[in-house]
Amino acid sequence: MPIVEVVDLFKRYGDVPAVDHIGFVVESGEVFGILGPNGAGKTTTLEIIEGLRRPDGGRAVVDGVDVQQHPREVRSRIGMQLQQAGFFERLTVDETLQLFAAFHRRALPGSDVIHRLQLDEKRRARVDTLSGGQLQRLSVAVALINDPRIVFLDEPTTGLDPQARRALWEVIGSFRREGRTVILTTHYMEEAQHLCDRVAIMDHGRIVAQDTPRGLIRTHAPGTTVTVLVDGGQVRFDALPGVQTVQQANGEVILLTSDPLGTVHALMELNRSGEAIFHQLRVEEATLEDVFLQLTGRRLRE
Amino acid sequence: MRGFWVTVKMGLRMYLRDRGAVFWGIVFPLILMTLIGLAFGRSDSPSFTIAVVDQSGGLLGRGLLEGLRQVPVFRVEEAGDTEAALVRLREGRLTLVIVVPGAPSGEPIRAYFDQARVTDSQTALVILERFIADANLRLARAPQTLRLQATGIAGRIQLRFFDFLLPGILAMTVMQTGLSGVTWVVATYRQRLILKRILATPAHPAAFLGGLVGRYTLTSLFQMAVIMLVAVLAFHARIVGSLATLGALIVLGTLVFVGMGFAISTVSKSPEAANLLGTAISYPMMFLAGTFWPKDFMPKAMQPVIGLLPLTPLVDVMRGVSARGDAVTAYLPGLAYLAAWGAVSFLVAAKRFRWE
Ligand SMILES: Nc1ncnc2c1ncn2[C@@H]1O[C@H](COP(=O)(O)OP(=O)(O)O)[C@@H](O)[C@H]1O
Ligand SMILES: [Mg+2]
Repeated sequence: MPIVEVVDLFKRYGDVPAVDHIGFVVESGEVFGILGPNGAGKTTTLEIIEGLRRPDGGRAVVDGVDVQQHPREVRSRIGMQLQQAGFFERLTVDETLQLFAAFHRRALPGSDVIHRLQLDEKRRARVDTLSGGQLQRLSVAVALINDPRIVFLDEPTTGLDPQARRALWEVIGSFRREGRTVILTTHYMEEAQHLCDRVAIMDHGRIVAQDTPRGLIRTHAPGTTVTVLVDGGQVRFDALPGVQTVQQANGEVILLTSDPLGTVHALMELNRSGEAIFHQLRVEEATLEDVFLQLTGRRLRE
Repeated sequence: MRGFWVTVKMGLRMYLRDRGAVFWGIVFPLILMTLIGLAFGRSDSPSFTIAVVDQSGGLLGRGLLEGLRQVPVFRVEEAGDTEAALVRLREGRLTLVIVVPGAPSGEPIRAYFDQARVTDSQTALVILERFIADANLRLARAPQTLRLQATGIAGRIQLRFFDFLLPGILAMTVMQTGLSGVTWVVATYRQRLILKRILATPAHPAAFLGGLVGRYTLTSLFQMAVIMLVAVLAFHARIVGSLATLGALIVLGTLVFVGMGFAISTVSKSPEAANLLGTAISYPMMFLAGTFWPKDFMPKAMQPVIGLLPLTPLVDVMRGVSARGDAVTAYLPGLAYLAAWGAVSFLVAAKRFRWE
């Protein structure tokens, strides 16, 4: 049963479309990810669905409610974590949640939410003494305070160290187990791959592909990648055995191959005969990063 | 509604944790009052000027006059006419008027004092009573003992400098709360996307913005109470009018200038720019509106401008009520003008308000 429907959404700033006629459907209870680099239009998309910005075309329906017609009704049914938004620095964690709870018709006890986000020992600490990771968790706590069925998270783990990121992944996993629908944006392909049931890949305001992570890899980057750092020599990589596509980025050459053994063998031959010099040969399963590379010719993070 | 009250409650906590706000709202006005008071306000002498109207023309009057002259803090004048002396009392130029009755009448000695200056007059009366008691002892063989009858009369109050200065300082602080405090805070909330967080909730925005206004109204009343207390205890400033009326005026003034603060914060992008604009508007007003010295001290050419400033009517009415005990009804046109500024400010703010 679809719980969020986005149809032909369009928004531009000046002449540049930030969101360029996109559409997708999120099923109840799934974790849906929007994966794309900075400036792809992820935040704009999310904030239109949340009713914070007006689209120039198209519509979004959340839990059966049209966002443009009833933005406040939509906001009462969802929880949202905003990218970059600040807090009242002179309030404590506890007080912040009390304040936001007062703006909702229905709210969970602050202590429950604090406990779930492992902020217990920071309960009485002022917000301006929190670390980046703790602030991010407080931000998610605010999104959870009204016990929403649908949770929007805008780059929830950006800027966190790997350990803090894993902890937040745990929390988001628990949302899914409770039957909440989660819509999150990220520019970390590991995050999308690890957390999401389905992923929409976004670039320049368009959704270039959407499917399960496996489905995306199967369709757009099947097989294995071989990555080498080239240090001289002219090589026709696409003529090597098994090679399907050749991508170059930051001096690295990334070969998507259906015959990893054959490709590596040929590369070693070239290296031995001195026709070309390679460093740092890597052989990896294809990931969403490769899907993005195949679809756009660029990496997610430059 | 819950959003409104919790915003007020949390706003008060934030205020109490904000040293800057407490400094600008309480400490700074007190420092200013002290400095200005020290510079201009040292005109009070601790002596009492007493006029004696001697109707007896005899020993009693002479003796009293001689006796009173012995008291070091009394400056004693002889006056011929009771009415003329009472006029001078009303004008605040005399502390006591003593009338010694004609010799055979058996009437008591009358002392008139100004009701509005009870402390000064009481001191003088106590000294006078002691003196009469002594005189009775010494004149034990006189045909009749002396009695004293004290009568308070309503005088035109003599403004002492701190009585004059205090309401000006209060009005100035109310203005600063709106033009410097609110502009900074609202623009900061906007720039740091705190307002956007509020917008992200289903609550009506008025709950939060109204809560902010409520918070400023309460902190303003608190600040004014502290300033008044210090002014009365440390500087012996006198508040003649009703405190409830003053409180109502403080609330009105706060609403108007908080509205102006909101309006200004919609014009500027950054908190720094909003604050600078607020300060640029409030400083000239502070010096022109009769806050620290009478408006008449300003050049004649400036007077029309001074009349248009929204701070001017607030200073006038607060001074009238606080220092002279005037009724607010005497200031209705000014109050209406002030309220109009508030209404226009809130309209501009409502029309232009941006959440991010
Ligand atoms: N308020 C705005 N005014 C002008 N341009 C904007 C605004 N918000 C976003 N954009 C532009 O729209 C594009 C998409 O931005 P955004 O949705 O924030 O991307 P993402 O969240 O994927 O990084 C960017 O090119 C950005 O510069
Ligand atoms: Mg973004």
